[in-house]
Amino acid sequence: MSTLVEMVGINKSFGFTKVLSDVRFSLERGSVHALMGENGAGKSTLMRILAGVYQPGAGSVRLRGEEVNFRSPKEARLAGVSTVFQEFTLIPNLTVAENMFLGHEPRRIDGSIDSVEVVKRARALLADVFPQLDATAIVETLTVAQQQAVEIAKGLTSNADVFIFDEPTAALNSTDVAHLFKVIRDLKAQHKAVVYISHRMNEVFELCDTITVMKDGAWVRTARAEDFNLQTLVATMVGRELQNFFPPRSQATGAAMLEVSDLRLDDSSSTVTFVVRKGEIIGLAGLEGQGQREIMRAIVGVESPKAIAVWRAGPDNSMHVVNVGSGFARAVASGIGFIPEDRKQEGLFLRLPIYDNIALGKQLNRNMASVAWRSVSKVREVIKSLRVAAADPNAPVGKLSGGNQQKVLLGRWLLSGVDILVIEEPTRGVDVGAKAEIYRLLRDFSDRGGAVVVSSREHAELIGLCDSILVVHDRKIVGQMSAEGATEERILETALGASASPDPRAAVH
Amino acid sequence: MNSFASRLKLPYRAGAIGLSIGTLLVMVVASVILLPDFMDPENLSNLLAQSTVLVISALGQTFVILTGGLDVSVGSVISLTTTIMTLDLPEITRVLICIAVAMGFGVANGYGVARLNVHPIIMTLTTMGIGQGIALIILPIPGGRVPEWLSGSVAGSIGPVPNSLFWLITASLFASWILYRRPFGLYLFASGGNDFNARMNGVPVERTIIKAYVLSALFACAAGMFLAGRLASGDPKGGASFGIESVTAAALGGVHLAGGIGSIVGTVVGAAILGTVNNVMNLANVSAFLQSVVKGVLLLVLVVSQRRKTIGL
Repeated sequence: MSTLVEMVGINKSFGFTKVLSDVRFSLERGSVHALMGENGAGKSTLMRILAGVYQPGAGSVRLRGEEVNFRSPKEARLAGVSTVFQEFTLIPNLTVAENMFLGHEPRRIDGSIDSVEVVKRARALLADVFPQLDATAIVETLTVAQQQAVEIAKGLTSNADVFIFDEPTAALNSTDVAHLFKVIRDLKAQHKAVVYISHRMNEVFELCDTITVMKDGAWVRTARAEDFNLQTLVATMVGRELQNFFPPRSQATGAAMLEVSDLRLDDSSSTVTFVVRKGEIIGLAGLEGQGQREIMRAIVGVESPKAIAVWRAGPDNSMHVVNVGSGFARAVASGIGFIPEDRKQEGLFLRLPIYDNIALGKQLNRNMASVAWRSVSKVREVIKSLRVAAADPNAPVGKLSGGNQQKVLLGRWLLSGVDILVIEEPTRGVDVGAKAEIYRLLRDFSDRGGAVVVSSREHAELIGLCDSILVVHDRKIVGQMSAEGATEERILETALGASASPDPRAAVH
Repeated sequence: MNSFASRLKLPYRAGAIGLSIGTLLVMVVASVILLPDFMDPENLSNLLAQSTVLVISALGQTFVILTGGLDVSVGSVISLTTTIMTLDLPEITRVLICIAVAMGFGVANGYGVARLNVHPIIMTLTTMGIGQGIALIILPIPGGRVPEWLSGSVAGSIGPVPNSLFWLITASLFASWILYRRPFGLYLFASGGNDFNARMNGVPVERTIIKAYVLSALFACAAGMFLAGRLASGDPKGGASFGIESVTAAALGGVHLAGGIGSIVGTVVGAAILGTVNNVMNLANVSAFLQSVVKGVLLLVLVVSQRRKTIGL
C-alpha cells in the first residue's frame, strides 16, 4: 500500500472560531478509512479542505506525494479527489450525463458541447457501476439513492483516486446501502482510496479498515478497525463511556391517546389503523419508501391521503375526531406536534436565532391580533432543560449542529404544550452523544403523559427507543410487535413476508 | 442529444411549451375562422413585422430569465438604438455606437446583479431610466432619418418571403445555437437551476450571469435596429413597452421566472401569442383599454395553469 493523501498540521478558523487545530490525516491506496467524531468535531471541515471547498489556514496537503493547494472543488475533482457531500451538489434541471460532465464537458472543435459524446461517455462509465441509471434522465426526477449514484459517478468522470463519502447512508434504505457498499468495495479493489464519514457504527466496522477519530477539531487516534470495538470507539469519540444509550421503556401505558382509523393513502391501498397510548412511543418501521412518510404526514394533515380519520383523547379520556383533512393547523390546535425529517428545510428558520425558533411554539394556536409577549424566561427554561449546547439564545439556528437543531424543534413543541408528537427520523444527522439525549427527551415527553409516533430508517434505533413497532409495507401495516422482542431481522422478515415479490420501489439501483 | 429518449425528455427543461403551442394554434385557428381579414397577406406581414421586435427582445430576455433574473431595461435599449441610428454620423459608426452602448448596458446590468448583488429589477430599473433619458436627450421627439439600407432590409421581401421573417429566423437560430450548443447555454441552465451547486461544480456563475445580460442588451439592440428600419426614423419612446412585453412573452412561452426552465421555441411561441392577440384585437376594433385587460387575463391563465415545480433537490 502506498500513501495517496497526506495532510499534516492542518489548521482552520472561521472568524475567531478555531475549528481545526494541527490535524493530521493520511490515506492509503486500496483502503476504506473511516473518519469518526461527534458533530462539530471537524470531520466535514477537514474533508472540505481536501475537496477544495475550504482552504486551510496552515498546514500542507499532499496528493500522490506532491503538495497541492486546491482553490475550488473543481480543481480538486480534476486532480482526482471526488466528494459525495451530505448535501448533494447536483443541478436539478440537468440530465445525469450533463451533471456528470458539468464544468469539463467534451467539446467539439468549435468549442461547443459535444452532447452526443457527453451521453456516450456517461453511459460507458455508468454501465460498470450503476447499470440501471439512465444517463439522459433529469436529476430532479430521481430518487435520493439515484442522485447519490450520480454524485459518485461524477467522480468517475475525472478518474478520481480519492473518494470522500460524507454520511452517504443517511438517506438510503437497506437495499441501496448494500449496493453502495458494493460500489465502495469495488473502488477499494481498484486501488482507490475511500474516506467514509458516518455515524452508524455497524457500517463503519463492516466496511472500513482504518479508523481515525477526531474530537473538538483535533486528531485523537488513528488505528486499524480491528483495534477498536464499539465501546472503545464510542468512548474515544465522546471522550467518556456512554451508558444507557437508550432510556428505559415505559412501565405502564395508559388509555388510548391517538387513534388512526380508516387511513387510506390511495384508492387501491388498504386501510391503516393503529392506536397510540398514553406514555407510549410507537415506531413505524419497514423498507424505505413503503408509505411510512405518507402515513406520518397524513396523521398530522401535512399531506392529504385518500381518506383519513384521526381521533385523540380529550381531558376526560373520551375520543373525539381531529379534522386533519383541513390541514396541519387543525392538528396543532388539538395538541399534535410534528417534527419533519428535513429539519433545515421544513422545520427551522435557519437565519433566526434559537430564541425565536423556540418562542414560535408559544405563538401557535393564537389568533393573528394577539400580542406576542416575549417570554424570555420560559424559552430560557426550555433551552436549559433541553441542554442546547449554545451559550447564546440569539445565535442563528443554522449555525448549530444537527443534534442541537433537533433539540430546538423539540423545544418549540414542548413550549407549545402539545401532548402528541409525530417525529420523522429523530436522529438523522445527529451525532452519537446527542442521539442518546434526543432519545431521553422523547422518553421524558412520553413519561409525562405524552404519546409519540416515530419513523426511522435505522431499525436498531426503533428497537431501542420504542415500546411497540408497526411494520409498514406497500402502504399498509403488515405487522405489529413489541419492541423489546424485536430484531432487525424480524422486522425485515415481517415486511418482506407480507408480499411474495418485494416492491420494486424498494430497489432503486 | 440525439437518442429518442433524450428527445422525449428535452421538454422537461423547456417547461410547459405544449400548453403554449396549443394556445397559439387555437388562437390562430379561431382568428382564421372568425376574422376574414386575419389571413389577408398585408395583415400577415404586418403581424410578422409587429412581432419581430417582440420576438428578438424576448429571446434576449430569455437568457436573463433563465438565470433567475429580469431585464426591464430592454425597452430603453431598443429606444436608444433607434435614436442613435438617426445621428448625423457615418452609418457604420452609428451601428458600432449602438453595439457599444448595448454592451455597456449589458455589462453594467450584469456586473450590478452578479458582482454587486443588486436585485435584478432594481438594477435594470435604474439603467432603464438612464437609457430612456439619454434617448430623449439625443432625440426629444420622434423623427430623424435612418440609413436607407436598414429600412430596406426590414421592409422588403425576397420573393414571397418578407424580410422580417429572415430577421426572426436568424435571431432564433442564433439564440438556439447559444443555448443548446455552447457551454454557456448549459451553464445558464445550471446557474438558474441551483447557483450554489453550479459554483461547486466549477461553473463560472457570475460570468454566466453577466454574459446573459450582455446578450439581452445585444438582442435588444438588434430589435432596436429592426424597429428603426421599420419606422424609417427614430423614436425615443418606441421601445418602452417591450421591457415588460418581452417578459410577458417569455412567461407565456413557459419560461420560469425562477430560472432554470425555458426554451427558445417557447419564447418564440409566447411572443407569437402576444403578437397575435394584439393583432386580432386591433382587427376586431377592441379598445386599447380592454386589450390591456385581456392580455393580463391571458397571461394569468397561462401562467397559473403551468404547474409550478419547485427547482431544488
